[in-house]
Amino acid sequence: MTLAIFIVIAAAIALAIILQIAVSRSLPTSRTAGLAAHIQPIDVEAFRNLVDRAEDDYLRRRLPPSQFRHVRRQRLLAMAAYVKAAGRNADILIRIGHAALASSDARAVQAAQQLVSEATLLRRNAALSLAKIYAAMAWPNSGLAVSRVADGYERLNGSAMLLGRLQDPAVPVRLSAVLP
Amino acid sequence: MLRAHSLFWHYLWIAPNLLLAVLAVLMWRRGVHKRFPVFWIYALFEAIQWAILYPLDLLPSVAPETFWRAYWLSLLVEALVTFALVSEIFTDVFRPYPSLARLAKLLVRCTGVLLVIVAAVTAAYAPIDNPLWLIPASHILQQAVYMIECGLVFFLFVFAAYFGLAWNRAAFGIALGLGVSSCIHLATWAVMANGGLAERRYLLDFVNMATFHACVLMWFYYLLLPGKATAKSAVRLPEHNLEVWNRELERLLQQ
Repeated sequence: MTLAIFIVIAAAIALAIILQIAVSRSLPTSRTAGLAAHIQPIDVEAFRNLVDRAEDDYLRRRLPPSQFRHVRRQRLLAMAAYVKAAGRNADILIRIGHAALASSDARAVQAAQQLVSEATLLRRNAALSLAKIYAAMAWPNSGLAVSRVADGYERLNGSAMLLGRLQDPAVPVRLSAVLP
Repeated sequence: MLRAHSLFWHYLWIAPNLLLAVLAVLMWRRGVHKRFPVFWIYALFEAIQWAILYPLDLLPSVAPETFWRAYWLSLLVEALVTFALVSEIFTDVFRPYPSLARLAKLLVRCTGVLLVIVAAVTAAYAPIDNPLWLIPASHILQQAVYMIECGLVFFLFVFAAYFGLAWNRAAFGIALGLGVSSCIHLATWAVMANGGLAERRYLLDFVNMATFHACVLMWFYYLLLPGKATAKSAVRLPEHNLEVWNRELERLLQQ
């Protein structure tokens, strides 16, 4: 009977989560307008610097092993923060893109579809990269390749700009924190 | 009122299955069956299953063994149809997101394998406490099937929520109904399979039947009633000018 109690509790938790997701989905999407303000600027170049293998090799040569591991973990933590921010931005852009799909302008809809597609890809890459970064924290000497996130973010930036231009040609739109 | 073969009991067994038959007919008329063919088969199957099992349960000339054999067989077919239905919902949800489809497929397979192992282990621990082995075996089979179904639907909801996927209204309704019914049925069948509430098992039957009834009504709502047309205003992406960039860079420099 103990087993049954565990299963009943697990089923109740699963039901509560499913209902919570269902309710949050059913809520009005009027908050979409304010979503864009939550986009966090990301310095892609700084992120690239963190990911750069040559930088890691240089630090490995210059620092004693224990210190290198410490520095490497710090760099990985910073990297994780960037990736989380990129994932959050992608999440916001997915929602904005879905809202923009209702537009009457065919070109804007096409741009919104592209934005949703690329933001979804970035969200996936961010989730996978985070898993990889946390795994690397356990083994700081191992190699790491998260450049797909940086590349994805740059592509996403292009899609967002295209959608922005189509919806309001007078307003320039940039998402990444790189100076033009 | 809460007794086996009471009027309420008959209502809860008859009404949802008749409603499913009506739903299948209406889906056919409106062409919705082309979009969700497996759900349409599922609705028809449930109605046919009831049409066979209900008289078998009521007719005094039918031996209990015959009923339980028919019940066992119908459970196996129902399990196959339900898993095909879950697969149909997955396909519908991920169709607009090809970049996620591969990852989702991989994770679904891993989740499925894990669930099958957990279901097999929990089934192995369940007691066979009835001389007519088909009765506890049916309870254990139900527990295993609903465990896998519940796990898969739960995974689908969490995955879709994490990636912010937009659901089709009908697919969402079908998945929600399946999710609610599988969670509650899993709990009730787990209690039954593990020998709980021995004297009052009929109460669990009422919970199961009432849940199924509610889910059928949910499917009516989501599949046949049109969604509310929400007035969506044009969405504009934020403007970022040099001042904002400078502020961000200054903040970075001060850190």
